[in-house]
This record gives sequence, C-alpha cells and structure tokens, in this order.
Amino acid sequence: MLKQDINYEANTPQQTWFAKHRFSIIRHAVINLFMLIILLPLSWVLILSVKSLPDSMRGQFWPRKFDFTHYSYVFENIQTLTSNMMNSIVVTGATVLLTTFFAVLAGYALVHLKPWGKTFVFTILLLSLYFPTRVVAIISIYELQDFLGLINVTSGLILPYITLNLAISVLIMRSVFQLVPHEVIESARLDGAGLWGTLWFIGLPLARNGLVVVFIVNFVTAWGEFLLASTLINDQEARTMPVVLAAAQGGMGQWAWPRIAAVYIIVVTPGLIAFTFAQKLFFKGLAEGVVKG
Amino acid sequence: MVERNEIELKLQEANRRQLLQGKIDRREFISRSMVTGLGLAGVGVATKYGVGPAYAAEGRPLTPTFYDWIEGLHPGIPGVNERFPGINYQIAPVQGFGIERFVAESKKSDSTWDVYVGQTPFVEMTSLIEADVIEPWDNYIPADVIDDIIPSIREECSVNGKLYNWPFLLDVVGMGWHSGVTNKAGLVDAAPATWDEFLDGANTIKESGAAPFGATFDAHGWRSVAPLAHSGSSDVYTPEGLFDFTSDAAVEALVLMKKIMQTSNPDILLSGASDGGVNGTPDEVAFSTQRVGYYVKYFNAPLRMAQYWDDPKQLHMGPLPKFSGGEGSTVFWTTGCALFKHGQNKEKAAEYIQSLTYDRQIWKDSIAGTETAHVGQLPPYSSIYKEWGESKPDWMLPFVGLVRGQLDRAKSIDNHLFGLSQFQIGQPFWEAFLKGEESDPRVAMQNVTDAVRAEMNRG
Amino acid sequence: MDRGAEITVPQSVATARKHKIRQSISAWIFLIPALMFFVCYQVYPIFRIVWISFTDFEFLSTEPANWIGFGNYIEAYNDPLMWKSMGRAAFFTVMFLPGTIIFPLILAILVDRVRHPLLATLYRLILLIPALIPSTLVFVLWKWMYNYQIGPINYMLVEVFNIFTFYNAPQWLGGTNLTLPSIAIMEIWWGLGYHSIFFLAGLASIPREMLEAARLDGANEWRVFWHITLPRLAPIMMILVVLRFGTSMAVIDEYLIFGGFNRGAPTYTWTVYMYDQAFNIGLWRQGFAAAVGMIGAAVMVFFVAGLVYIFRPRG
Repeated sequence: MLKQDINYEANTPQQTWFAKHRFSIIRHAVINLFMLIILLPLSWVLILSVKSLPDSMRGQFWPRKFDFTHYSYVFENIQTLTSNMMNSIVVTGATVLLTTFFAVLAGYALVHLKPWGKTFVFTILLLSLYFPTRVVAIISIYELQDFLGLINVTSGLILPYITLNLAISVLIMRSVFQLVPHEVIESARLDGAGLWGTLWFIGLPLARNGLVVVFIVNFVTAWGEFLLASTLINDQEARTMPVVLAAAQGGMGQWAWPRIAAVYIIVVTPGLIAFTFAQKLFFKGLAEGVVKG
Repeated sequence: MVERNEIELKLQEANRRQLLQGKIDRREFISRSMVTGLGLAGVGVATKYGVGPAYAAEGRPLTPTFYDWIEGLHPGIPGVNERFPGINYQIAPVQGFGIERFVAESKKSDSTWDVYVGQTPFVEMTSLIEADVIEPWDNYIPADVIDDIIPSIREECSVNGKLYNWPFLLDVVGMGWHSGVTNKAGLVDAAPATWDEFLDGANTIKESGAAPFGATFDAHGWRSVAPLAHSGSSDVYTPEGLFDFTSDAAVEALVLMKKIMQTSNPDILLSGASDGGVNGTPDEVAFSTQRVGYYVKYFNAPLRMAQYWDDPKQLHMGPLPKFSGGEGSTVFWTTGCALFKHGQNKEKAAEYIQSLTYDRQIWKDSIAGTETAHVGQLPPYSSIYKEWGESKPDWMLPFVGLVRGQLDRAKSIDNHLFGLSQFQIGQPFWEAFLKGEESDPRVAMQNVTDAVRAEMNRG
Repeated sequence: MDRGAEITVPQSVATARKHKIRQSISAWIFLIPALMFFVCYQVYPIFRIVWISFTDFEFLSTEPANWIGFGNYIEAYNDPLMWKSMGRAAFFTVMFLPGTIIFPLILAILVDRVRHPLLATLYRLILLIPALIPSTLVFVLWKWMYNYQIGPINYMLVEVFNIFTFYNAPQWLGGTNLTLPSIAIMEIWWGLGYHSIFFLAGLASIPREMLEAARLDGANEWRVFWHITLPRLAPIMMILVVLRFGTSMAVIDEYLIFGGFNRGAPTYTWTVYMYDQAFNIGLWRQGFAAAVGMIGAAVMVFFVAGLVYIFRPRG
C-alpha cells in the first residue's frame, strides 16, 4: 500500500459514491419516469372529482373552488352501484378461478400427458384466437344462454366469460409447462406420486409464474366486459358495473365530468386497497418460483 | 276508446258476488275493487285475498323499459310510476341505438318487455317495423289523444297512416347563445333572424376577441345539414323518403356550414367521445368552456352545457335562423314509445304512456329545470301549449313560445330504413367540401347521394 | 432409483403401452372441462359464422336466408373499403405492437433488479393499477386527456408552454391522422403495467444462480441478457406478441366509442366495417358481415403464423 493510493481515495469521495451507484440512480430515475406516466393521468382524475362544475371545464389543474358533492351524487343516481360492484366482483372472481383451473388442467395435459391429437387441439386453440367471434357471436351466445335459462341471471355470465380467454389461458399454461423438464415429471411419477399429486406438488409450483399471467388476463377482460353483460342481463340490480357506468358516460344524459371522475375513484379504490393486502401473496409466489427453479 | 279488460270485469264480478254472499265486508269490497281497477298488476294481490287464483296464472305486471338516459334527465318519471303500483320498471339493454336484443326475442315470438320508451322514428323505428318487432298504437291509444298530437309530429310517428311511435320527448333544433359573450362583442341580446345576421354576429364575436370562436354546431348530418336545409325549405326529401342531398336547400346549407366554420372551433368536424362518436362532441365542449358565442343544436345541448358556466343564466335560446326568403323551418325529432308486438298488457301500457306523456310535472321540470337536470325537451300535444298560452306559468322560459310558432312549420326527417345511416355514409363526402378537398359543393353532394345509393343497392 | 432394470424386456414394453393409454385417457379427462366450454361458446358461434357467411342472411328481415355460396366473399374481396379498413388496422398494429412489448420489457428488467424490498413492492403495485380500471373507464380517461379544448395535454401545449394556440393545437382524436397513434399510446399506457408484470414473472423464473455464474465467468451485462435472459423470456414474449397481435388487429370497442361509423375516419377498420354491416346499416346483412370477418381472420392467421415462426422458443 503506497501512500499515494490512500491519498487518491481520500481526495475524491463524492465521485466514488455517485460512480458506484450510477447504475442504480439511472435505473430508479427511469423507473420513476414510467411510474409518473402511469400515475399522472390518475391524479388528474382524482383532482377532477373534486372540482366544481365551472372549474372542470377550464384547463387549469388546480380548481378555484372545491366541490365534494360529486361522490354522493354518484350514489344517489346509481342506487344499485354497490350491488353492481358485488356482481362484478363475484363474476370476475369466479371467472378467474375457474378459467385458471381449466387452463392448468388442459395445459398440463397437452404437454406432459401427451394425448393423441394434442397438436390438433393446439392448432384449433391458436386459430380460435383470430376468429372475430365476439361481434357476430353475441346472437349465438344469447340463444345459448336463453336455452340454458340463464338470461337475467348474473352468475350465468360466468360461462361465456370463461370462454373469452380460455384459449389464450390454455396456451399460456402450455408454454409455461413446456419449461418444466419432462424428466422431473416422469421421475415424480415413477416415485409413486399419482396424477394429481404430480401436478399439484411438482408441476404447478414450477409453473406458478404462468398463473400470474393467466390471472391478470382473465381479470382484466372480465372486469371490464360490457357487451355480453348488457345484452344478457335485464335488471339494473343484476347487472355488472361496466353496464351501469355506461349510462353515466354516454347518451344525452351524459354526466358532468367531475361526477364520472368520482365514479372512477369509487370503482378503482376498493380494488386498490384489496390488492395492496393481497400483493404479499401475489409477489411471494413470484419470488418462490425463483428459489425452486 | 279503450275497452275494459275482460279479466278485470270477471274479477269485479267475483268481488260483488263475495260481498253479496257476506264473505267479505264493505271495506274489503272497496279495496278489492281498487285492486281490480288496477288491472292485471293487481292480480297477485287479488289472489292473496282469495279471488280467482286462476287469473293469477295469466299475465305479468306492466313491464316498460326505458333507454337509460331518460330517467336521469326526467326526474319526474318515478312519480308517474307510483301511480301504477306493481309496475316492473326496467332500464333497456341498449347501447348506442342497439336493438339486437329486441329483435332476437321477437324472432322467438317473445318479449321480456311490453313497451320501449326511447325510440326515435328516423333512427330505429323503420328497422323495428321491418323486423316485425313492434305494432301500431292505433287500437289502444284514445282518439282524443291521437288528435291532440301536433300534426307534423303525428306524421313523423306514422307509417302508412298507423301510429308506430307514441311521441313523448320533443327535441327541436334551434340555437343558443352566451349573452356574456354577445354583450362583450356589442351584439344585440336576441337570436339572429337570418343566417346573414348570424354570420355577421359570429364574425364580430371572433374579431372583437369577446371569445375565441364565434359560432359552432354539431357536425353530424342530422344535426347540421338537415336543419340548415330545412331553414331554407323543408321540401328536401326524395319520393322514396331519403334526404335529397342535391337539392338547392341542402347545397345552400352545406355552403353555410363552411362559412360558419370560419369562425368556429377547429376541431368541429371531429367525432365525439362516446356512443359511436355521436355524443360528447367538440361543439359541446367548446360551448361549455365559454369560448364560443352562438350554438346551433337541439335545445338540450346548450342547456346541458350551460351548467358548467360560472353564471348559467347567461344562456339564452331562440329559434333557428333562416335564409332570407327561406321557409324558416327546422328539424325536430321525438323520442317516443314503441309497443312490442309480442308484449303483454297493451291496454295498460297505453294508460301508462298517456299518464307519462301528459304529466305536467315532467314538462315543468324539463323546461324550467331541476337541481339535477335541465333538458329543454318539449311536449308533443297542442293542448298543453294552448294551456300555457292562455295562462302562462311563472316558470315558463321565452324560447318555448318562440319555438312553438316554428313547430307548425318544422318537419322531421323522413322515416326510412336508411334514415340515420344515409348521414353516416355520406359524411366523408360532404366533409371533403368542408375541408377544402372538393371545391364544388354540388359535386360533393352528388358523391353523397351516389354513396348512399350504392350502399342501398347492396342489400 | 431405477426399478426398470429389474423388469424383463417384454413386460416393460407392455406396461409402457398400457401406461401410455391410461395416460392418454387421463389427459383427455383433464382436457374435457376446457373443451366443453370451448365447443359451446366458441366453436358453435364460429360454425354459425361460417355457415352464415355463405348465405344472404339479414337479421332484421323476416324472410328466410338463402344459400349463396361464395357470393359474399366475392363481394367483400372486390370491395375497396374491405382492404382500406384492413390497412388501417394493420397500421395501428404496427404502431402499437412494438411499443407494447419493448417498453414493458425494459421496465420489467429495471424493476427486477431493484433490491430494496419496499420500493420493489411499491413499484409492482403501481404497475398493476391500470389493470384494475375497467376498460370503459380507461377510454373515458384518455378521451379527457386528449380533449382538444381542455384536456391536460393541449392545456400544457397551449396555455402553459404556448407552443400552440386555440386555433392550431393538435387534434388528437376524432378522425384526424393523429387518431390511431393517439389510441396506440393509450393502449400502450394501459398495457405498460401488466405486460411488465408478465415479463417480471418470466424473469423470476430464471434461476439467480445461472445469472450469477455467468457474471462470475466474466460475461458483461449485455451478453448475459442476450444469451440467458432473452431466451428464457422468449415463450412469454411470443405469447404476448401472439395475443396482442390478435387483439390489436381486431380492436373494436375503442373504435366504436371514439370513432363511430364515419367511413372516412382512420378508426373505421375492418372490424368496425363488419359491425356496421351486421348491426347498423339497412337490414343488417350479417351474411356479408360474416364473410368480411372470415377474410379478416384469414389475413390475421396468415400473419400470426409468420410471427409464431419468428418467435418460436429455441433450445
């Protein structure tokens, strides 16, 4: 250790800290830029929900006068809002769980159980993604639901909703299961684990990250679906949220913007709160995948 | 005259018998009579009292369904519903002008609902008739009511002499202005009588800097081309019922639109923000930000946009200007009620609609405004206007009287399967003239007609 | 433990075949629930569309439908609006697809490296917020953002930065040339969060030991990314490309809400054309609309086959 080396380090401490952390700083700066891009529009909506009506039609971000009555306006004018939200939650939850379950089974089967005709099934599923069924199928689905006696039954929506993303969910799980080496499954079976045991204890944990994707895809679709919900359900109380909200933002009775903004906050906040608590489980799943892998 | 329902007679007979037999007392008889007087809606109650369980198997409560915005804009509707206990009031599953569900049910000879409130004749009425979903009201509507409908409105609602649409809410295209802006520009606080005055005023507003934009309108054809053409002449329809885009009045209207655009907000041709671009249009935003002086549209629009102003009372409204030497007509349309062919309770439905459309509270709220809504939609009956003419209520607004005169000259858009879509199909072509891509308005309009015809021939 | 060595050869073959058959049967049992839904709600409507496309079925007409063979297809093939509207959808896809893959990928890689547990969780939480908003409200939000008069974007441009005036500010939505790029930006914003989560899930499945080992071996960040990270992400990327290609070519809700039935508008794509014919114009010529839909589907399948080939998982 020469005296010069020590002096060199002592003379430039600042540069060393920045230099050492510069990647980290850049990383966080870029991430925060994206975070802002996501959050700024939403904060604009939040402010809009408490602006007075004249202020909502001026460009300035900060209102001259606050008006908190928009929230009560929403509840007075959409009396069924809480039941609509419950309906949406139930329908979306059931859709997500059931679709995931079926997709896991089907994806696992296609990859590790290798039935005859698996390529045929795969091709059909892939092709079906590109048929524009939704638009013209509205009539067919209506007839089917009517035949089953499920018109105006909220939980009846679950059946077509499952199918909306079933093909892509199966394909996702199939891709994810393909990453699980077949030898692992085989050795588990030779060790005596049954069909279900292999899937539950060995296959699924390794494919856990695919579950995240399937969950989100199905959630997003079911949560916002409008066309089927509006056509298949008659009663306001039995309807899901997007249908009831459409009256607020369309038509001649279109609501004033701050009131729609209030609807926004009312609809998004419970989900956000619930998710904050649930995220521990959610992201733990992702981390565990790392350890096991 | 509406005939008494046979079942009601039977129930009342049963009541009387029970009274005479001493099975029920006088008070019971009276309440049961009231119940039977309410028609089949009371059958459930009647069964509970032990009268004719067989009748309970028939019929369901009156089930009207409303287009969702109607209740929001007319808070008096629940009051009407209270007069019909047992009514099964519904909100219709329509998005945009969608009628798929109605047609799908009709194909199975079924209908969940009895009457649909929200039909606009030139938009979906022809489609509903073609698909055999609705039937005329003539057998159910009282004769004095049908005669009370203003003649031009009755014509709008009729096909082959039969009334398929029972009119309820009348929208008339007129104009509104921001008196704060017009005062600042030094203009008279009155509706311009001719288009020349209108254009002068708009230019003055813009040049004086009273507001960034002088005038605005809604660029959809049935809200701009049609009414402006009518102000010149309402005889602008072909024998088969299509709008005659190549008529002189229509071409003049197009040229006028281009002149107005010189003082209007630049985004005037952009589509709106909802319902297929039909609502939430740029003109609405411009007017609500108080940046424009004159506004041509159906009265609901300026009224709704003025609620965003610091002082909504600065909104004044009046009839549509006319071309000097022109007819001075305008466009109106009604939002009315359609009777489902496979529905039930048809007599009851007629009673309900009559009660609904004559309800004075709804009309007062519509004209004077309430805390929650100020619609500006008008009634279709001449008797109501006569009543107001004779003893003017204190909540009456000036524009109603001014428009009433125009209503005798106003005309609706002819009913045709392509009544609405002719404007959608033609829009890119007349807009070519407005944007300056085509210099001859006649050529642009000819292109419109050709395109509409081409589309019609495909079927 | 290798029990197989104790069994004689012919017996092992028979057992293996019996085992394979039983496995096949259980596979089909696993597939049945999904296939049942699929057949009822997806296959049946598809067959119906195919059948309808060969007839002159008009939904509002009370006349029965007649078989007309390829009549609708010929008409659609010769229809300039069919191809023009298809081109608009393709243009939108080209603008939207790369952005919705690349930005989330970058974001995911960055967030994945964040060590601080609280920040990592916070970032992931914020990323998921747009997914919690029902789609109709997302459109409402962006219609406000892009509003010409008082949307925050134009407000910034006109009244704060004075780059434009009230008369010449950009018209983002509603039929101008900016409309499709604006909608693309909205869709990218919406997917930013949850596509990142997909990639994060993919990244989490890469064992840390592999990455550490590579780094210790002297590979720099770029080589680590290219040779280890990217191949492991390939399946997810392919899923995303396949999924989003389909949805972006077949966008309809946004176009119906923002653009309507104006044929001159850039939002009038082949899906809007199909909807226009099926539920709006005239007697609702659903036979023709079905043919338009089938042609569009065929074009999409053609292109996605190419994409699947490019993005197939290697190794």
